[in-house]
This record gives sequence, structure tokens and C-alpha cells, in this order.
Amino acid sequence: METSFFLVAAWLAAVGVEPVAPVVASTPAPQFCATSYGPDYYAFPLAATQNIPGTGYARGRAEISVPVTSPFPVAVGLDGSYLYQVDVSIDNMRAPRYGQLVAWVTTSDLERIERIGTLDERMRASGPVSWNKFLVVITLEDSDAAGDEVGAEMWTGPIVFRGMSRSGAMHTMLGHGALQQENCTSYGFGA
Amino acid sequence: MCAVLILGSLAVPAAAQHEGHAMHGMPMEGGWRMVPMDPNMPMLPGLAEAVPVVGAFMPGMGMDPSMLPAARPSEVVPMMDGDTLDVSVSMVRRTIDGHEMVMYGYNQQYPGPLIQAPRDATIIVRVTNDIQSPTTIHWHGIRLDNRYDGVPGVTQDPIERGESFTYEIHVPDAGMFWYHPHVREDVQQDLGLFGNLHVTSPDPEYYGPAHREEVFVLDDMLVDDQGAIPWGDSAPTHALMGRFGNVMMVNGETDHGMTVRQGEVVRLFLTNVANSRTFNVTFGNAQAKIVASDVGRYEREQWVPSVVIAPAERYVVDVRFDEPGEVVIANTIQAINHFRGEFYPNVDTLSVVTVTDEPADPAISRAFDTLREHDAVQEEVESFRPWFDRAPDHELETAVRVQDLHNSIMLSMEADTLYFPPIEWNDGMPMMNWLSTGEQVTWILRDRATGAENEEIDWRFQVGDVVKIRVFNDPESFHPMNHPIHIHGQRFLVLSVDGVTQENLVWKDTAIVPVGSTVDFLVEMSNPGEWMIHCHIAEHLSAGMMFGFTVEP
Repeated sequence: METSFFLVAAWLAAVGVEPVAPVVASTPAPQFCATSYGPDYYAFPLAATQNIPGTGYARGRAEISVPVTSPFPVAVGLDGSYLYQVDVSIDNMRAPRYGQLVAWVTTSDLERIERIGTLDERMRASGPVSWNKFLVVITLEDSDAAGDEVGAEMWTGPIVFRGMSRSGAMHTMLGHGALQQENCTSYGFGA
Repeated sequence: MCAVLILGSLAVPAAAQHEGHAMHGMPMEGGWRMVPMDPNMPMLPGLAEAVPVVGAFMPGMGMDPSMLPAARPSEVVPMMDGDTLDVSVSMVRRTIDGHEMVMYGYNQQYPGPLIQAPRDATIIVRVTNDIQSPTTIHWHGIRLDNRYDGVPGVTQDPIERGESFTYEIHVPDAGMFWYHPHVREDVQQDLGLFGNLHVTSPDPEYYGPAHREEVFVLDDMLVDDQGAIPWGDSAPTHALMGRFGNVMMVNGETDHGMTVRQGEVVRLFLTNVANSRTFNVTFGNAQAKIVASDVGRYEREQWVPSVVIAPAERYVVDVRFDEPGEVVIANTIQAINHFRGEFYPNVDTLSVVTVTDEPADPAISRAFDTLREHDAVQEEVESFRPWFDRAPDHELETAVRVQDLHNSIMLSMEADTLYFPPIEWNDGMPMMNWLSTGEQVTWILRDRATGAENEEIDWRFQVGDVVKIRVFNDPESFHPMNHPIHIHGQRFLVLSVDGVTQENLVWKDTAIVPVGSTVDFLVEMSNPGEWMIHCHIAEHLSAGMMFGFTVEP
């Protein structure tokens, strides 16, 4: 019923007729329930690419939190970008037959890439990120290259898992083609 | 997907989507004027001629501002124990961003008088109300006698026009506090009713050495080419996000500046008196260290790239200006354009500091390089450590309930659920926000144990109780937003954010709870009386986000 009203309202609005509001267009009262705490909202899954064996049942996850060193409940940099600690974890994965899994963060246009670090024996890695929108990428690197923390500016091995920060979902909002009539790659992705 | 399709059909075609923007400043129904909008932002259909459901309010409506006295900058008022200050609340003439307008003032000053008093003094302030609306003064952060907390209907009757009320304010803590009305803060505070109360410590080395001290009262104001946008008369506008201004001010000035010598260390006392805006204050190439906050010093000084300061918070930060030239103290944020779905950098100048090549005293400059440990603070915090890991005594969660909002707003808001930032640094939806009023929006603090909401909550404590309160800012609510939570009459520590323990603690009276976050407060119930807990976004407070608690003697 409500959906029908909104569809009609949307059509009327599109043709220039302002719909009449229902008497009470209220949202239902939020449910009182024990939702999980904090970081869950900004956590995001890391999807397996199935590029290497042993990832069929694997589950990846990235959680972000405010760095412990911040004297404020949020941490931002000089340009106002959020500063986060990223905690990457992979579960249900067979250890790869060769090489090491390395976690990276990158802007969504791949313009900037930074290495978080090699996943430990528990398949965990942590590091900072200072971008508002970013991707987490986990690659399978040759052992020697993976150990070269300073020189590794870009991954060379296959991508095994990847995921986008929750903020990355914003690019599909109202600014997308139907509204702006422009190629969505011209805005938003890098910001 | 369905929602996106609906919104796609709702959207005005690109060629016509900005037509409504030419209406800025045009008179609308009920004395309203459309709020300023970014011309790149599309207008939702049906909103072009919409106005808030409440009436428009302007102070001294129809009055010639030239008939009023011009407000003057704040004056320092040193007070000793037992001294009395008379404060009148009256209409004044101000010029902001080139617009002469009727505003309010304490003793015709902007900000109000900067009161200075030594710790443990009791000062007396006689307030006389000469504005049309009833008012009170809340002494923010002061652990004072409950009778003088300034909450109408709880600790006193509102001061009607022509009436007076005498406050006796005992100041047990050193720090920078402030005062403001507790009646329609969204209007009265925005119109200029605020001032600082600086409580000095008897310890001459309470802070490290600095060449000078400066007060920075941070504010913003929403104006268009005709002056201030009207406020709601019976309830606030901007009830969803609070009223963000588009003109930034320091100490009521839009062109604030100062001149310092090379190497000079300036202690800045920052107070955020804005209705809703959280500032990220940056200091150009100058080095900054955070020293203190609301109710005292940090356990240790700490270098910071910027200061994140929410409404009603205070921070003390020492800044050294090393390079000759100009340093811009700015609000530097990554704003969000919800319609385009992107972050974009936004920098607003707050103050321009001219650094001369005349050198400042090098001895003080060297002391600046040392981060001081505050042993007394650490020892006091340590005495509360037994409570740190205890389970919460009370848990709150936030929510918002809306009704009768315009359909376009409802549709857009319901679809815009893909991402909410931890902090809303800017008003990314000015038209929708403006149209949401306190009659349609109810902000909620909910007790998770009982389900009681806002004034239904009935918490009771004894003096001496140490209480852990966990606040969860639910990101799944209709429109989550950061909330600066203020607790009257007591002080608290922010123990952790999302389970991450804070390493450098400081006593606070207001602290921000970002979207999606869980923040643990440890409250020392040291002061008996009937007190308030509320969000200090003025419009959220007026939209119900508050409740009282009792501390028995």
C-alpha cells in the first residue's frame, strides 16, 4: 500500500504534479534491539576473487576504528580526511601453497596505493588509512617481494580478496546518471 | 534499486534542476526566504515553494535596527569572590557579512562579557531580561549549586521580559567555561547570547609558558543576501541536522585576525558556540599541542594536526608560529555532497595570523617543545581506574522519529541510507534540513534497559556514585547524526570509543558521539540536584533529545 503510494507520488512528481501527502507519513518507530556496537556499521566484507585455490569458503572482513592516539572521538588529518585504523581478517581459508598474503589500501581510482602489511599466521593485518573512500585489496605475493616493506609500492601478484569502504557506496546516490545525465566516472570515484 | 529508480523519476531533468535556486532571497509564504543552496545541488520536485510548517521569527520584526545600540566587542570582567555583575539581555544592532541586523547581546557585547574568576570563588550575576522572549542563563560545565543551573521548569522559572534572576556561581574547577540561555538555544544563542567564564587556577604553572592567551569563540550564522534567514517561531527549523551557518565567525567577527612575532607561542582557548557545526580547526604550518579541554587539563600534552571541536566543547591549545608571513587558522573539512555522493575539500578561514620577523622570547619557545605531563591529573584519573572495566550501569541509544515531512524528503531520506559519515561537517541537504521542524522531528535518547525515551527516563544516583554510561549512536536510525552529549552539573571521562581505550584522558562536560560509535562515559556524580543530559545541537535539544536525572545528597 505504502509502496504503491510512493510509486504514484513519484510518477506524479515526475510529470510536474505535486502529490498530496498522506495524513501521517511517519516512519515506524526504530526497533529496540541489541544491535552490535560501533565499528560494525563501517565494517565491510572482503570478497574472494576465486583466483587461487583454497578461497572457496573463505570470508574476509575489514573493520575500521579511530586510532588510539587521537585525543578526540574521531581522528582527522590536516585536510579533514578521516584517519582510521584498518583491521583486516580472513577466515576459513587454506594457506596458499606459495607466497604470502599482503593487504593494501588504495583510493578507488587506484591513484594512490599503500601497503598495510603481510597477513600473519592468523590471517590478520592492521594499518592506518587516511582516505575517505578506499579499497582494501589482498594479494598473493612472492615471499621475497612481500617481505620488502619499503620497496613494495604496488602489488605484483594476483588479487585474492577485495572490498570497498562503506563510504564508497555513496557514489550511486542521486548524483548518478538518471539525475545528472553525465558519466558517473566523471565524479565521485576518486573523492 | 527500486528506490533509486523512484528517485531517478523524481528528479527534475538536468536542464531544469537549478531553476529554483534563483528564488534565493525572494519572499515566500509566511515571511520565509529560501535557504541558500549550492547551485550545483539539484532541487527535489515539489520543494521549490515549500516553507517550514512553523511561522518565521525575526527578532525585532519590523524594527529599524538603527534605533538600537550597536553591539561592541566583548570586554574582560575580572571578578573576585563575592563580586557582583549585572547582565542585561537586550536587543542590539550588529553588522555581519555586510548586513545590519537586529540581534541579542549580553550587556550589548558580542560575545558576552568575558568573566574571569579565581577557582573556588563565588560570583554573583544579576540577569535582567529586556528581550521579547523568556530566557535563562545556563553556566555550562560549572559544577555549581543546582538552583542556578538555568534550566527552565527544572531549576528556575524562565526570566520573563522585565524580570530579573540572580545567579550565585561557585566555581570549583579551573578551565574555560561558557554561559548561554537554556530557552530556545537555537534562536537565542544563535542571535548572540553566549559568553565565556574563565576560571583561573591558583597554580601559576597550571599551564606551560605562553607569550599570550587568546579567546576564540567559534560560531557560524546562516545568512543570504538580505541578512539572517528567519528562525522558527514555535519550534526550530533544521531539526534533522541542526542549523549550519554559511558565515564563519571568531568572537563574532567575520574578519578576525591577529599579529604575532616569529616563534611566539599563543594559547588559544577555543569554544564552539555554533548550533550544530563541528569544526576541524587547523593552524596552517604552525605547530599545535593540545593542553586542556572542558573541565581541566589532559593527562599529558599532545601534538595534534587539528582540533575537532563539537558544539559546546572547549579546548585549550598552544600554538607556535615559527615562520614569518601569514598563517590561516581555518575550518578544514571534507564536506559531503549527498546528491553527487562525494567528499570534497572545504576550507573556511576563521582567523588570519600575521607573523612578523621580529623574534619572540626564545626561552618560552624552547619550553613549548616539551610535552608536559600533568601528574595531578594522572593521579586523580588513576583513582577512578577501578571503575574503568566495569560493565555499564546504564546504556543509551539514539534514534529519530519523523512525521508529516514532505514526500520528496521522505523518499530521498529513505533512499539515502548507503552511507552516513561519522561526523556531518556540513549541511549536505540544506533545503530538506530547513523544511524539517521540531513539530515533525523527534530526536530520541533511549534507555536500552527499559525502552524509556527522553523525559520518560528516570535515573537516580547518590553523591559519590561513579557511573558508567554507554551511548550507542545507532547508524540504522532514519537519519543518524553525530551528537555532542552534555551532562549538566557533573564531570566525566570519555573512557573508550568503540571499545578502543582512550590513552590520554581529560575531564569533560560535553563529548561527541560519532555515528555508529559506542562511547563509554565515566561520570562522577559529585553534585546533588536535578540535572539534565542532552544533545547540544540546539535543534536536537528543542526536538526532544534530553532527559533529567537526580543526584541525591
